[in-house]
Order: sequence, then structure tokens, then C-alpha cells
Amino acid sequence: MAKLELSGIRKSFGATEVLKGIDLTVEHGEFVAFVGPSGCGKSTLLRLICGLDEITAGQMAIDGELVNDVPPAKRGIAMVFQSYALYPHMSVGDNMGYALRLAGTPREEIRARVEKAAKVLRIDSYLDRKPRQLSGGQRQRVAIGRAIVREPRIFLFDEPLSNLDASLRVEMRIEIARMKDRLGTTMVYVTHDQIEAMTLADKIVVLNAGRVEQVGSPLALYNTPQNRFVAGFIGSPRMNFMRLGAPGQGGRYAVAGGSVLVPQGLAATPAEIGVRPEHLELVPLDRPHALEGVVTMTEHLGSDTYAYVTLEGSEDMLVVRLSGENAVRRNARTGVAFDPEMAHVFGADGRTLASARPVALEAA
Amino acid sequence: MFDLSSTTAKVVFGLALLFIGFFLFFPLYWLVISSLKGNAELYQIIPTPAPVMPTLEHFANAITRGKLPMYLTNSLITSGASALLVTVLALYAGYSFAKYRYFGRQPVMLFMLSAQMFPFGLLLISIYPMMSSLNLLDTQLGLILSYIVFALPVSTYMLYSYFAQVPDELIDAARADGASDLRIFHTIVIPISIPPIVTVFLYSFMWSWNDLLYSMTLIVSDSKRTIGPGLLLTYLNEVNSDWGGAMAASLMASAPIVIAFMFLQRFFIQGVTAGAVK
Repeated sequence: MAKLELSGIRKSFGATEVLKGIDLTVEHGEFVAFVGPSGCGKSTLLRLICGLDEITAGQMAIDGELVNDVPPAKRGIAMVFQSYALYPHMSVGDNMGYALRLAGTPREEIRARVEKAAKVLRIDSYLDRKPRQLSGGQRQRVAIGRAIVREPRIFLFDEPLSNLDASLRVEMRIEIARMKDRLGTTMVYVTHDQIEAMTLADKIVVLNAGRVEQVGSPLALYNTPQNRFVAGFIGSPRMNFMRLGAPGQGGRYAVAGGSVLVPQGLAATPAEIGVRPEHLELVPLDRPHALEGVVTMTEHLGSDTYAYVTLEGSEDMLVVRLSGENAVRRNARTGVAFDPEMAHVFGADGRTLASARPVALEAA
Repeated sequence: MFDLSSTTAKVVFGLALLFIGFFLFFPLYWLVISSLKGNAELYQIIPTPAPVMPTLEHFANAITRGKLPMYLTNSLITSGASALLVTVLALYAGYSFAKYRYFGRQPVMLFMLSAQMFPFGLLLISIYPMMSSLNLLDTQLGLILSYIVFALPVSTYMLYSYFAQVPDELIDAARADGASDLRIFHTIVIPISIPPIVTVFLYSFMWSWNDLLYSMTLIVSDSKRTIGPGLLLTYLNEVNSDWGGAMAASLMASAPIVIAFMFLQRFFIQGVTAGAVK
């Protein structure tokens, strides 16, 4: 258990700056997920926290103690790697006990701690096997076990579930959630899978191009994204964006398939509105206050149906999420409406100008 | 396209293999049968294709009367020691080139590999005065050190390409577990690199074992002679040419290498192909 503080963290590889000043506090016992597109620097940041790479500038402290120059093993941190990185020539038990052996822990204590962790992870019957004799899920457990045995102050996870197949991933996700409740240790988790981030994390850090875009609880990020990037990154399928045309009278703006009323008195000129697929609905054409378009494609998932609607006078498609099995006819003309409370307004620079403020739909 | 399974193709390939095989194996065959022929049969004008009266007298003579056991021991010492030296040096050099980034890494590696591009005879010209000034002429240590030139560059490169494939995450994991750089190399990297290490050891052992030129030049006293020059000077000198004895002794001299390959070929193949196919 520990508090982790990062201030002004920068990292350069040669002339390329990968992290451009990260300020972040991870509270005692908190589960924080780093998400972002590939190359955003999330794994680099995790490596810096672990101590595998040197920090170019900025300060990192664990429980108030500056750890910039403290070697990995002395930081009280354990990391679970994406490829598991199990030592292939050692048995499962030796893999889990390696760090303790290096630290000079008495043999008896190593055995007791390894056995205890193995029991919790249900790998106690494999302790004498080599990693290659285990399945993917079992290897993942060993990798987690290797971290648990050290009883670290902070756990780091680098995309730990990305090498598992879908059903196993769900199983291990639940396992990690239970581990988080049981251990109560501070955890930092890097993932590109936002479902993992949304379900596991107390706090999500959205990174983009070496900068923090937003930090907040999963629902805060979902409901009130601070900018277009976060709005588009969190949520699946992603948010629909509609470009606003020239402003008309009283906050009226033209969009493809109709027009909308945007609240007045915003900090900047609105450029785009965004509505999540689950907040759009298909309505009869004759209904006023709806946009007009054609259903170009449908996807049936059983629990949901996704309708892709191409709006009048536009190439872009809106994704509409309809719950349950829904018989939408392809190529049918339709109206699209949304709850004004659920729309977001973005400025030209991508900043959110208004969330959950009424954006009224006008008739086409 | 050329159909590899057609009868014509099979015949053509078969003939080609026979042709190549003849050049590869006929000398070996001749070596074996000549060593088993009696002297009378050996010096017939028209040679017999197989020994009419097989005899082991040449083998017995080589072991009891010649200095073969001494030459073999000398070779075992010099080849073994130089192979060990090459393997240890190549291990550290290869790992450093593969996993560390520092100024001059690539030039140094290229420089080392370039040693392989000179004929060994040419290198001997500069090695000779070096050994002379170090007072290492006519010593086993001098020979062991000069044998490094045969195999060190290629061995380093072989281990370098193997180490380059060792996943960085594995090394990171050990660092996070608290292991020092040397500790990681010794307890994680070396244990998973046994096949290429065996390959490199065998490869450099073979080079030194087969050497004639260096040993003939750098060693003068008969008591330190290795097997190559030893055989040549014993059996095929100005005054006599005991072909039967030479054949029997050669056969025995190649035995250690053949036996080593038989036992370790599994490693050798793994080691050679490790760089190509993951």
C-alpha cells in the first residue's frame, strides 16, 4: 500500500520526447488504469514507475520518498508483464520465489510464501512444472503469483490480459478484480481495452501523445469528457461526431440531415456535437425534431443491434445502438433523434464546451 | 514449374546427390579401407576396392609404437582450452553487443568480424612476432591464444544473434525482481542458451583440432606437437611414407570430433537454426 506521486515527468529517447510532462497522484490502495492509443506513452510511463527506464525530467515519489534513482527492486514494486516473462528454465515455484531468493529471504519462508500465493491462484499443483507445460491462463496466474509473493507496495500491470483469448480474458479480469478487493494494494494497470479499464479501475488516466488528456472515475470520463479525444476514446462503439455548419439565428446550426440548436453563451464557437450510439434512437420520418438519413448497414449482436445511418448530404455514418433484436430494414429512410441532455458540444480545438446541456433538434 | 515429385526429377536429383556424395565420401571410404589393408595389399599397382585380408596391425602400431597418444593429448589440451576461452569471450562479447547500447558498439563488432575476412595464414605472419616478443613461441599457451582468431569472430556473432532474440521483457522481469546485470546473464540468459553455447564450443574446438599451419609454425618441440603436424611428420616425411599407418592414425584422430558431433548434434542443429527460425 502506497501513495504514488508523479510531477512533471518527462521521458525522451534520443531526440523524441515520448512523455511530455505527466502530473498524477495515485492514492493509497487505488486502482488506476492508463488507457490510450498505441504509442501514447502509457507503457513507457509504467516502465518509469517500475524503474526499468530512467526518468529524463520530473520527480517521482512513493509515500513521499523520492525514488527517481532507486533501483526497481528497492522501490517495493512488482510488475506483471504482457508476455508474462516467465523464466523458461525454472519451475513455477522457482519463478515465483526468484525475487525472494535474490533478496536473501530464508528458504523456509520463500516456500511458505510461494505456496500461499499458489493456493490463492489455484496453481499449487503445478509448482514443479516448467512454464512451457502450462496453458496461457495458467502462465498468467504464475506471472501474477510472482508479483504477489513479493508483497509489493504497488502492483504494475502491463496489458496483462491481451495475450489471452476472449473467454479467458473475462475470467482473469474477474480474478484481478477479486485480487484488488482482497489485497487492497495500490495498482497501476495499463490496457488498451477500455472494458478492462471501465470495470476494474477506480480512476482512469487517458493518455494521448505523451500527455494526460483527462483523469477521472470511469463514469466521469464517460459522462463528462473534457475534450473530443476522451469523448471518442471512452465508450464502445465510439461517440458519433457531427460537424456543425455556419451558425444561424439564435444558436441554430446546420448539420447533415437537419439542424440543431446549441446553447448560447459558450466559451468558444462550437464546431462539433457528439452523441453516443446508445443515446441515439431511430424515429419515424414524420416526427418533428429529427435528423434524416438512410440505414446503410446493420449489425445484429443478439443483445444489441447497431444501425449505421448515413445522414442526408453527408458521407459519414452515425452508429445507433438499439437494444435487443431489432428488425431494421436496410436502405430504409429513417429519422434519428437524441435526448438533448446527452449531447456534447466541442470547440474547434477539441475542448468540450458543454456536456449534458440541451442541444435541441430541429426539423429537417 | 518444375515438378519435384516427377520421376525425371527424382532421377536427376538422385544422380546429382550421388555425384556430390562421391566426392564427399569416397576419400573417407578410401581412408577406412586403406587403414585395414596389409602393406602388401596396400602397395599393389591396381588397388583392391575392399581389403582382401582385413588387418588391425596399423592401428596397433599407431597406438603402441608411435607417439599418437601424446599428440592426441596435446591436441585435446590446446583445442579444449582454446574452445573454452573462445566460448567464454564470445558469451560476454555477444551479450554486450546484443543487449547494451553504447558508443562504438557497431564499429567494434564490425572490426571484430573483419578479422574473419583475412586468410589465417596472413594473420599468422603478425601473430608470430607477437608470440615471439611475449616469449610464447613453442608453448601451448601461445598456441591456445592464437587459436582464438579461428573461431572468436564467428562465435561472437552466433551468440550475438541468439541473444538478440532473447526477449527484453525477460531481462526486465529479472531486473524488476532485483537481479543485477551479471546475475541476470548468469542465472537467466546463460541457462536458456545452452544449445548455441554447445554449438560455439564445438565449432571452435573443431577449428583448432583440424589446424595444421599454426601448430606447425608456432610449436617446435615434438613433445608439444598437436595431432595434425604430429601425423604428418611421423608418417609422411622425407624418408618414409607409411600410408597404412597414416590412414589408421588419421581415423583415430578424427574420432573425438565425430563422437562429439554424434552426441551433441541435436544441440548443434538447434544452435545453428536458432537464428533463422524462432
